[in-house]
Amino acid sequence: MRSDYNDGTLTVFLEGRVDSNNAQDVEKEIQNILDESAAESLIINAKDLEYISSAGLRVFLHFRKTHPSFRITDVSSEVYEILDMTGFTQMLTVEKAYRVVSVEGCEEIGRGANGTIYRIDQDNVVKVYNNADALEEIQHEREVAKLALVLGIPTAISYDVVKVGDSYGSVFELLNAKSFSKILANEPDKLDWCAREYVDMLKTIHGTEVPEGKLPDMRDVAIDWVKFMKDYLPEETYTKLLSLVEDLPKDNHMIHGDYHTKNLELQNDEVLLIDMDTLAVGHPILEFASVYNAFRGFFELDHDAIEDFQGFSYDTAQKFLNKVMIEYLGTSDEAKINEVLDKARILGYTRLIRRSIRRNGLESEQGRAEIENWKKQLIELVDKTDTLTFIFNELDVEATVDNLDTVTSFINRFLEEEECPMKAQMQIELAVEEIFVNIAKYAYSPEVGRAKVRVELEQDPLKVIITFIDRGMPYDPLAKEDPDVTLSAEQRDIGGLGIFLTKQTMDDVEYEYKEGQNILTIKKNFE
Amino acid sequence: MLNIKKEQDNDKLTFALEGRLDTVTSPELEGAIKDSLDGVKELVMDFENLEYISSAGLRVLLSAQKTMMQQGSMKVINVNDIVMEIFDVTGFGDILTIE
Repeated sequence: MRSDYNDGTLTVFLEGRVDSNNAQDVEKEIQNILDESAAESLIINAKDLEYISSAGLRVFLHFRKTHPSFRITDVSSEVYEILDMTGFTQMLTVEKAYRVVSVEGCEEIGRGANGTIYRIDQDNVVKVYNNADALEEIQHEREVAKLALVLGIPTAISYDVVKVGDSYGSVFELLNAKSFSKILANEPDKLDWCAREYVDMLKTIHGTEVPEGKLPDMRDVAIDWVKFMKDYLPEETYTKLLSLVEDLPKDNHMIHGDYHTKNLELQNDEVLLIDMDTLAVGHPILEFASVYNAFRGFFELDHDAIEDFQGFSYDTAQKFLNKVMIEYLGTSDEAKINEVLDKARILGYTRLIRRSIRRNGLESEQGRAEIENWKKQLIELVDKTDTLTFIFNELDVEATVDNLDTVTSFINRFLEEEECPMKAQMQIELAVEEIFVNIAKYAYSPEVGRAKVRVELEQDPLKVIITFIDRGMPYDPLAKEDPDVTLSAEQRDIGGLGIFLTKQTMDDVEYEYKEGQNILTIKKNFE
Repeated sequence: MLNIKKEQDNDKLTFALEGRLDTVTSPELEGAIKDSLDGVKELVMDFENLEYISSAGLRVLLSAQKTMMQQGSMKVINVNDIVMEIFDVTGFGDILTIE
């Protein structure tokens, strides 16, 4: 039996099978080596152990008694399964052997901030981490992916950690999946569809509230970017930039942080997010900073470079980005779209300049040219900008009760931005719930359809106007008679109160049916 | 989000609610009430930490009230202003016993 003695620790290498035929001999042999070496701690290396029966397991129990710090390392998945089933993984320290996976010749299907994803076979992919010592990162990513899944974001969670060359990788199942980059590159007629799905997922992410402290606050990260820039920007620009970022409202909604088309996968008609290590919370503008960079910022001076990374052309990227902004903001008004993009550019350029300087960008001619380009635009943009927040005023979602949260947080974000009085905000939230739930339950029943929610302000007196549009069955909820609120409990019907509450608390409610659409409008004065 | 705390003292049952009673969370309360009203004579709904109620929540309250009128009594306690206003507008202020 092979063994190694090192600084008080004896490592014994088990081979082949340990069962009732040889268990006693194995125990004796280990005991002899232990006695000779007088080691204080014992490690059993199970790399070449193929099978262990209950007789073999009793050997482990024996040494656990004599050497409490006893560990078993390099355990194959087959043996690990036996140890796990018999509860030994709970009693002993058992370290699994990392399966070795090669990605040579494998197709690259995704690339994120900290690793690259390859398809290793039909059903599985592996994410190989850039950092050689990535076990902690892997753990982190697993945890945030689980958190995201629980909060309702469709994603894949890794089921195994493997060794790939000198790095680690995490493996997950991804059947027949195609990245959105690939679809955009090969099926140009699907660009609009891709943009819609991309925005749907983005809105789901941005509509997801995250419990306090579970994810980093992206605003803090952005403040660090800005602080790095202190010596590289005119003082006036620096001071204003810092206050722009610090003035971003605290926001507990999720952002992805690296949301580009290689991180979105289509698997059996379902859209999945991958690469979750950058998840954070914050205002959506912090997301758009990285979205802008992914499709434009990085490639402003070198348009061809995007082809290497995404597989599609700069021209396609611009069309896609434009369509995404239209879908997200619910308007094709160019001025409005550019207003939001300009805010995104401020954060985007800040990040790009910092990144480039940290990667010795100032030492090459190309690097200096890029930094100068971003810096010049950054100074101009900061000069003309007074806030990084923006309001978007239309939401287009599947009308399901599950999407109620998305709708209410969209409305609340708008109302908070406009400093709507608390009481009015509560009443509006109630009306929005009642109306949206009605649409979700009845408009398309038993099918599912979409609903648009648009929110606007009007002056004199200051009021908010919210419009709900669906293409379901024509139905005028206002035509229904109000319930008699003076009846006693026995006489009262259960239900019918939603629209009544809306009428009572809003200043105006109107319905019309036009061009196949139910259009319901509510108005509420701020004072 | 809705947290439901249940406390039983012989035939007196108290539900302390925390959070929001809306379309998404009401079915939880409806289920909790349905499963535990057998033999209850006094049902208390403690709204001290309830921030929000919509018609879906009112529906559950009315149905609990109807059941309790057959077998005992129900009261709602520690109602905040926002919820109270909804009760008043809908006439629930008169139907329910509110303390």
